[in-house]
Amino acid sequence: MTAFQTEVLVVGSGAGGATTAAVLAEAGRSVMVVEEGPAVAPGRAEPFSLQELAGSYRHHGCSAALGSPPIAYAEGCCVGGSTEVNSGLWNRLPAPLAERWRAQLQLAEFTPAVLDRYADRVESWLGVSTVPGSLPPSSAVLERGARALGWRHEEFPRAFRYDERGRGTKQTMSRTVLPRARAAGAQVVAGVRVQRLLRAGRRVVGVRAVRTHDDGSAEPLTIEADHVVVCGGAVQTPALLQRSGLRHGIGGGLKVHPTIKVVARVPEVLDHDDVPMARITEFAPAIAIGGSASRRGHIGLALADAGADVSAALGDWEHRFVYYACIRSDAGGRVLAVPGLPTPIVTYRLTDADLSRLARGLVHLGEALFAAGATELHASATGAPVAHSVGDLGGWWDAVDRKRANLMTVHLTSSVRMGEGVDGGVDSFGVVRGIDNLRVSDASILPEAPGVNPQAAIMTLAARNADHLLAAL
Amino acid sequence: MTGSDEIVITGAAGWLGRNLVEAVAPVRSAVRVLVQSDADASILSLAGRSVQPVVGDVRNPADLDRLFDGVTQGATVVHAAGVIHPAGAVRELFDVNVGGTSLVLDRARRTGMGRLVHVSSNSPFGVNPSCDHRFDEASAYKPYLAYGASKEEAEELVLTAARRGDVDAVIVRPPWFYGPHQPARQSQWLRAVRKGRFPLVGDGGNRRSMVFTGNLVHGILRAESVAAAGAAYWIADPEPHSMLEVLATVREAFKAEGFEVSGGQPRLPRLAGVVAERLDRGLQRTGRYSQPLHVIGELKESIVCDISLARQEIGYDPAVDLLEGMRASIRWCVERGHEL
Repeated sequence: MTAFQTEVLVVGSGAGGATTAAVLAEAGRSVMVVEEGPAVAPGRAEPFSLQELAGSYRHHGCSAALGSPPIAYAEGCCVGGSTEVNSGLWNRLPAPLAERWRAQLQLAEFTPAVLDRYADRVESWLGVSTVPGSLPPSSAVLERGARALGWRHEEFPRAFRYDERGRGTKQTMSRTVLPRARAAGAQVVAGVRVQRLLRAGRRVVGVRAVRTHDDGSAEPLTIEADHVVVCGGAVQTPALLQRSGLRHGIGGGLKVHPTIKVVARVPEVLDHDDVPMARITEFAPAIAIGGSASRRGHIGLALADAGADVSAALGDWEHRFVYYACIRSDAGGRVLAVPGLPTPIVTYRLTDADLSRLARGLVHLGEALFAAGATELHASATGAPVAHSVGDLGGWWDAVDRKRANLMTVHLTSSVRMGEGVDGGVDSFGVVRGIDNLRVSDASILPEAPGVNPQAAIMTLAARNADHLLAAL
Repeated sequence: MTGSDEIVITGAAGWLGRNLVEAVAPVRSAVRVLVQSDADASILSLAGRSVQPVVGDVRNPADLDRLFDGVTQGATVVHAAGVIHPAGAVRELFDVNVGGTSLVLDRARRTGMGRLVHVSSNSPFGVNPSCDHRFDEASAYKPYLAYGASKEEAEELVLTAARRGDVDAVIVRPPWFYGPHQPARQSQWLRAVRKGRFPLVGDGGNRRSMVFTGNLVHGILRAESVAAAGAAYWIADPEPHSMLEVLATVREAFKAEGFEVSGGQPRLPRLAGVVAERLDRGLQRTGRYSQPLHVIGELKESIVCDISLARQEIGYDPAVDLLEGMRASIRWCVERGHEL
């Protein structure tokens, strides 16, 4: 068995892991990052393409939380994690939400000044900006609809840098923060799946892992470490902790942003290479309205979710685009590692209030799309009436039920949860209860789903937690 | 009053809605009402020439477009549409109470309506922690089951709209109401009390605020003209009563109206109410709803509110007390040949 040694072992190389590694390495600590997925050269696969699904996602992008209805979800599984495959949409943690968390969970060092300081720092690494010039047509649809109805809307800032010709490059972890960590001496190893944490009393002493080489051969490893920071995301992190015998406050309380889609047909030809940067905030934080990846295949999938005649509707696919309504959900879910299964079981049971909120989001989305000039809308609930005017939207309330709604999510959070003196699994800085040198720094520590894209919150907290760890070294 | 004497009323064919339409129809130039059926439209039209019914569903954006079409800017909106006891599934509470409110608020803003009075409930606040406690306008949300959760979410939408300056909205919170145009369930209740068949759950010392529909209409019209945007007021009868007093007063009202009252006072142990509430909770978690379980579960509780702020700030002055209000309800049933 091969053995490695490091001062700090970071498990996972996504938004949380990369940030943790960069902060610690730049402070001169010895850091090793292990990533289960492969290293994929940035830009090798077309964004949102089938090739990307196959190469950079866990389960080729087809995971599901079991429940009624089930919720499909996607997780990145490659060096850089989900930041390699997401849309780079950037929202700082909403200040009122952060303040509520601070007060309710007695979070230490969680004031706006502290959070802003760390957000500034990670933003300076990435570059966060809006699109130079006017928005592409797919974004303009949302903007036009919102304006016609007098609804609040805005352009998403994104973790993008634009060259002088206006061409944007998404600032993924493998383009930005991981090179920064490597430059400071961190070692990043792909193809390493951590099976369990090795414990001795109140401490972890390292991990047991399997490394898969490019030729497909597997090699068992042990990695000894003074400190371990788990950054596997809201599904993999609790599963690893559970496999290692840590169950208190671990795995319950999973939150997602349940999302329902509409395929809109509009008179003009739309762009299909990127997601829309415009979003409607009128009903935030309960409901967010925006646009999804809409290559021909995505449109076909979304039409299939609606139970539509896909081939006929794809005839004019250049005029069609996928938009979504996504909600903050009252419900909770659970991640459960089952001995013998490589993948944990994820369950999520939507409440009636959640389903109603999804239907409400869908109806409001329909209003905006018709106000923008859409002529035909397919909602992703099997057999929902195809809407040709606002008068048809009333039929969507009853179509969004537990049997027919086709839901998905790309945001999973809160399966470990930080807090002081509560049922969560970690303290204000991500230290696992009862294990002094084990931390969690990823989406799973967010106390609730934030109602906005979580990458900024994850990186901000990871930088803050890494500073706290530095103070302990 | 705002710039127009016109008024738009949702839920106009409901228990409160009919009382409100009857009160305003003779004195307003236009009363635009949303009703669910042609039959309801015909009945409400009898209240006066000013009544303009629109048949539709409060969840349907196109129906609401027709409701607000051509209404003068600055007109008042009373949003009284809501589901208290869903016919089958809990989901309906959220679709109508939250979804309907979201759509109505948005239409009110877009069409430049004036004051919007949102009819809420005691349910977002749950039950009093003790017999002598009263809810006031500083009480925190603690919703009672799905209905309470739906009315809380609706209140939050209204308060957000008011805070952002989208809609000049205020909230009235009536508890259990009674009065003319009562639904069949209320007539059954009166009959059961008269015949001594309605059980007390527990010792009957738990207290309730109730509100006569006439008092509530008065409160809504005060809120229309006086209240500040974003305010919320408890609107109830002058005094709360213990459940024992409520039942005794109903029987007294029957006697005063020439009815015979019979039977004794059946009692259920408080435990029966506790069990009913548990079953109700379990059922609601699976999306289902049983009205008898819900009612028995809630009967054991005190739900009392303090109306001082409404008295002080908007001049709310409830003229009708429980005995007089119950007598009016009984007379209304008798006039319409309802069996009591």
